[in-house]
Amino acid sequence: MKVYDGSETDSSQEEEPERVKVGIAEYEVTTDSATLTTSGLGSCVGVGLYDTKTGAAGLVHVMLPVAEEMDDGKPAKFADTGTELLIEELEATGSRRRDLVAKIAGGSDMLDFSEGGSGIGDRNIDKVKETLEGYNISLVGEDVGGDHGRSVQLKSVDGDFLVKSANRDDRTL
Amino acid sequence: MKIDVQSLDTFNKLAHEGAEEATRSMTQMTGIEATVEVTKISLVDREDLGEEFGRETEFVGVQFGFEGALTGKTVLIFERERSSEIVEALVPGGNADESMAQSSVEEIGNIMMSGFIDGWAEYLGTTIDHSPPTYIERTGKDILPGSPDTNERDQVFVFSSEIQWEGENVSFYIYMVPEYEPLTKLMSEHRDEEADAIPVEKLAAFNQMTREGTQRAAENVEMMSGIETEAEVSQISFAPIEDVPKQFGEETYVGTAVEFTGIPSGFLLVLFDEQSAITVAEGLMPMEMESSELTDKHKAAIEELGNIMTSGFVDGWANVLQRSVEHTPPRLVHDMGQAILDPLAAQLGQHQRHAFMIDSKMKTEDLEFESKIHALPNEQELRETLDDLDLDRADQTEANVDQLF
Repeated sequence: MKVYDGSETDSSQEEEPERVKVGIAEYEVTTDSATLTTSGLGSCVGVGLYDTKTGAAGLVHVMLPVAEEMDDGKPAKFADTGTELLIEELEATGSRRRDLVAKIAGGSDMLDFSEGGSGIGDRNIDKVKETLEGYNISLVGEDVGGDHGRSVQLKSVDGDFLVKSANRDDRTL
Repeated sequence: MKIDVQSLDTFNKLAHEGAEEATRSMTQMTGIEATVEVTKISLVDREDLGEEFGRETEFVGVQFGFEGALTGKTVLIFERERSSEIVEALVPGGNADESMAQSSVEEIGNIMMSGFIDGWAEYLGTTIDHSPPTYIERTGKDILPGSPDTNERDQVFVFSSEIQWEGENVSFYIYMVPEYEPLTKLMSEHRDEEADAIPVEKLAAFNQMTREGTQRAAENVEMMSGIETEAEVSQISFAPIEDVPKQFGEETYVGTAVEFTGIPSGFLLVLFDEQSAITVAEGLMPMEMESSELTDKHKAAIEELGNIMTSGFVDGWANVLQRSVEHTPPRLVHDMGQAILDPLAAQLGQHQRHAFMIDSKMKTEDLEFESKIHALPNEQELRETLDDLDLDRADQTEANVDQLF
């Protein structure tokens, strides 16, 4: 995990915020106006948290609903532990829980072959929402479900959450 | 010689950590922020090594030999087109003349690779010596070191890492090709005696089966279209489950996916990049060129093609395994590669932390297209299948395909 605190930012790059990529089962936190991006969300969910007071932001790319079922020491891989981890990491940079808002994208049911019951995408979304509720963090935007993939950019300059899809128009949450 | 998932995981982690160590050394020296995207261990036909680099792309980099507990060769490479940006970032002014650019590449290569090899030696509690770096510039797959000549085997293990320069569309690659015998010996020493073992030679046999499956799929395409189609490259690779989708990136693919049931169960994908999908749909189906964009007609043709390729592939497996393998009707997919793969990886990921992925490729001489087949079997069931696999039968398959199929 890296926390971007601005010490490495070149002054010539001020106009174009630094872009930080978040891989599957990974997360990043920025207090430095960086844009956090993650791509190729199918049934995976991208959870973005934004501090409305300080502009700090965090993004996690979770793959499976519940850590308990398959614990392997990678908390950011799971909807429950990944969301918790992101909240805690933002708190560690000085954010207060009540200032955080959440936006999420992903959780599609494309290629879900599971028979009966809800698919992994749905369960990922439910688990993220449940965890956010447990921390009293409001979900202020979502672009979830359906049968298409998504990529997201969380712009910590203003908290905008841009959702891109292969065959659809962009959406800003 | 037996290995297990644990030893594959351990060695894959070693390669990953080695690549991270190498990347840290580079960051320290140059300030370039880079991330190791994916590290995987693959078993591949020696002649197919580096097939993913295509035939025309030019690469530059450095090559080392290493010797000790492990013996073999390693390269650190990047695309020639990008080399001036990289050299400039590594050593400002380094592009002034060619020999200076070359020595800059050698220097950074040396620093990165020392980190890489030292990580391995430290973990294995032994020494691994490496030779001084040699600057290399070659085209396509020739950039990779061939397997050592002394090695009679037709399959080699290769560790590959892709390192991405953050914010730039530039990747570095580290490939390590150890000699087969010392590597498998070390892997078998590092396995967990309690765990379910995989006889290493059976992984190779499984590759042969995959080749037969692909051959069968190619025959089906030929039968349908009358166009001669060749099966190429097959490899089995192993990586943490979350690294499976990462390998496909944001590029858009068109194709089909099915779930297959039986032992092993899993998922099978037939994928074309968009341009290949258009070419192949128009080349194989009697249709008028209506648009350079992918239309519903193209997609319907791809769905049909995916269907017959899938049946061919699955039949090939079922015959060799002498088991029945059923599959669901194909579902058409058209999306970002990573987004296509992640639901499949997630479904397997409910029961396993790592995945074996089986990749093969086919192409024709007449048409510019490439089709890739990817199978993601259930790990436990794949192990059972390998256990039951009669090596004589797999050998026989290679000797006389017609008899079996």
